[in-house]
Amino acid sequence: MRTAGLNAVKTAVGLAALLGSVHSARAQDPVRAPDPKNGAVIIAQGIGTGVPACAQCHAFNGESDGSGAFPRLAGQSAVYLAKQLRDFASGIRNSAVMTQLARSMSTEQIADVAAYYANMNAPFPPLKPLDPTLIMRGKQLARVGSTSDQTPSCNACHGPDGAGEPPDIPYLAGQYSPYIALNLQMWQRGFRKNSPESMAAVASRLSPGDIQAVSAFYQQVRDSLAASVPSEGH
Amino acid sequence: MTTRLAPVDAVTIGVGLTGAMVGHELTQAGLKVVGLERGSARFTVPDFQAPGIHDELRFSIRKAMMQDNVREAVTFRNTSDQVALPIRRWESFLPGTGLGGSFVHWNGQSFRFQVADFIYRTHLIQRYGKKFLEACGPELSVQDWGVTYDELEPYYDKFEYLLGVSGTAGNIKGKILSGGNPFEAPRSRDYPNPAMKETYFGALFRRGVDKLGYHPYPQPSANLSRPYTNPLGMKLEQCVFCGFCERYACEHFAKASPQTTILPVLLKSPNYELRTNCQVLRINLDNTGTRATGVTYVDDAGREFEQPASMVYITAFPINNVRMLLLSGIGKPYDPRTGQGVVGRNYSYQTTGGPTVFLDESINVNAFMSSGAPGTMIDDFSGDNFDHSKLGFVGGQYVGSIMTGARPIEFHPTPPGTPAWGSEWKRAVARHYNHTILLQQHGTSTSSRLNYLDLDPIYKDAWGLPLLRMTFDFPDNDIRMSQYIADKVVEIGHAMGGKVVARGGTRRPYAVTHYQSTHNAGGAVMGDDPSTSVVNRYLQCWDVPNVFSMGASAFPQNGTYNYSMTIGALTYWALDAIKKHYLKSPGPMVHT
Repeated sequence: MRTAGLNAVKTAVGLAALLGSVHSARAQDPVRAPDPKNGAVIIAQGIGTGVPACAQCHAFNGESDGSGAFPRLAGQSAVYLAKQLRDFASGIRNSAVMTQLARSMSTEQIADVAAYYANMNAPFPPLKPLDPTLIMRGKQLARVGSTSDQTPSCNACHGPDGAGEPPDIPYLAGQYSPYIALNLQMWQRGFRKNSPESMAAVASRLSPGDIQAVSAFYQQVRDSLAASVPSEGH
Repeated sequence: MTTRLAPVDAVTIGVGLTGAMVGHELTQAGLKVVGLERGSARFTVPDFQAPGIHDELRFSIRKAMMQDNVREAVTFRNTSDQVALPIRRWESFLPGTGLGGSFVHWNGQSFRFQVADFIYRTHLIQRYGKKFLEACGPELSVQDWGVTYDELEPYYDKFEYLLGVSGTAGNIKGKILSGGNPFEAPRSRDYPNPAMKETYFGALFRRGVDKLGYHPYPQPSANLSRPYTNPLGMKLEQCVFCGFCERYACEHFAKASPQTTILPVLLKSPNYELRTNCQVLRINLDNTGTRATGVTYVDDAGREFEQPASMVYITAFPINNVRMLLLSGIGKPYDPRTGQGVVGRNYSYQTTGGPTVFLDESINVNAFMSSGAPGTMIDDFSGDNFDHSKLGFVGGQYVGSIMTGARPIEFHPTPPGTPAWGSEWKRAVARHYNHTILLQQHGTSTSSRLNYLDLDPIYKDAWGLPLLRMTFDFPDNDIRMSQYIADKVVEIGHAMGGKVVARGGTRRPYAVTHYQSTHNAGGAVMGDDPSTSVVNRYLQCWDVPNVFSMGASAFPQNGTYNYSMTIGALTYWALDAIKKHYLKSPGPMVHT
């Protein structure tokens, strides 16, 4: 039923997108339904209260630039995106840039922006191919985990090859490798602690090489140019 | 041809919970231990990882983690005048196999037994009189355990801290605490971890039983409420309510099992050797028949080995402990006609099955988000917590709202009167799937001289040895008990908002064709008297003092609760005595 439930959520999101609004029943969410059109305006133009246009770093379609300094947001769960913005605002999640910016946004504006990016279906930019042996090691960690130190597989929570388990668990498939690597280090060192403590526990078992490997694997999962490792599960 | 191996200090037949505990405690004491496991080795990574581990068809329906009943079945009949047939598909109970045993696929429901359970016969006669007990059923063979709750308390405590049990204490050293179970036996300190969060079906149950004046409490759980490091240094994680607990292994290190609490430490010990895919055929005795010399086993290449050992520990699934004793000729087999003999005597089970509560469509239960021990419970009808003097039966049941995941193949609730197939059935499933709560009644199974285990005269296993034969039906006493409580639980179902409540309760005859409980108990029971027990209070065989039979086969009758914590406590209790006394001077630890 879990899968059926997720499909139902996806269908509901899809239908709501057609109708021009996304409804979420989460307690923390604003009373009015999120308005992705308003989200689009904020993303393109920013808000007068010191919020620059999101598109400057994340692009209007949520693809972000290819540098990996900024995460890809397109198609990420609205619940997850809104929670991250609220966590930046409250300081549970730390970022010199995002914390200031999120604090200047209202709960409604956060929901609107999240709803807009959640509905985007942006292309995956062509990226420099990564080391195939690194990818193979990453694939092993992502799908099976590490038998030697009993690290569970990433896919166990993040879905088949990192497709995500919305609403709470973000996708990793196609996310930029430097961003994944940075965040695993943040979990390891306690700078990020805004979800159940399992992420910190898992991250703490990874070596620097493991982090590079899983990050590389997930980046190329959605990359049409990288044919070095066949992908399964979608 | 049998290859004779180098002798060791101890061998365990099975490496599940008790086998791992024996291995750890004895290797710590400096002994050389060999663990013989009939199934395969398996670990959280890579064997239990998602999404493969969430395969409902493979694990729930085809029972991938259970004893292979093509090679090794159990034959069953209700009464001794019938011919028993082999159970070729496990349904009623699920004996695990493989490294970690049934403690891998368990749910983590982590109760202690009550004070009265261990002195059951004495307690009942004191409270109600001998005549009352006889009137409940002349066939009942209730007896004391030979060990008391107070003696076991430190070992319950040790075991709870090994697992990291999450709960709210109701009684610390006699002081009743709010939020916990006021009927709980006194504990020396709090649970190692706070209780799990209450589910919505639990909250609705709490609302209902509050109205009726009962005493709700959170079910103690070995699916952990927070990250925890146990005394052996093993790190466990927080349960994510994935809905795949019973019949499955945990991919998140969130369920206490031998793999998450003991084995990684044990396997590093230079004193320990694990051998998997090794089927033990028998315990070998010397020519006096009073001393075991070791075991004979077959590996998966079909080669036969003799493993000499100074001590033999039977640490198999409870009913297989009994079979191993019978196959090895240890102890006198029970004869139901004369009442003489002990091995196989007092096999007991568990009375289960509660009502189904159908709710309004506006109430979304979302039971697919669940853990193995997510319940909100009451103990008002457990054991002897209520006055039986006018009721004509002994025993009781806990009542709880415990839904361990509403998985799609198994969970199709429909109200009475719905067709069993077709479009009307489909509509009813869609209507009720997310608006239905199953309540659990779970309780005592009184032992009876009519219920026992012996070797089947006809059917044999893949190695040519007789299968175990189970002769069992619920005593009338247990049916009366279960039906009395079933009425009370229907009231609870209505009080929590049920529009339709389909009544539960146990009925005769006992059938092995639907799931009831994997708490098979007894058959090699403990006690103070060798004429009514197989092992003494330290789980040491009366007849062969260097053989120890661990686990629930030692229960003289089954208590109200899921029995794993009592198995763990008894095992620690026995091992402590063995380390303190037996290792210094091997021989009988109790003299009669």
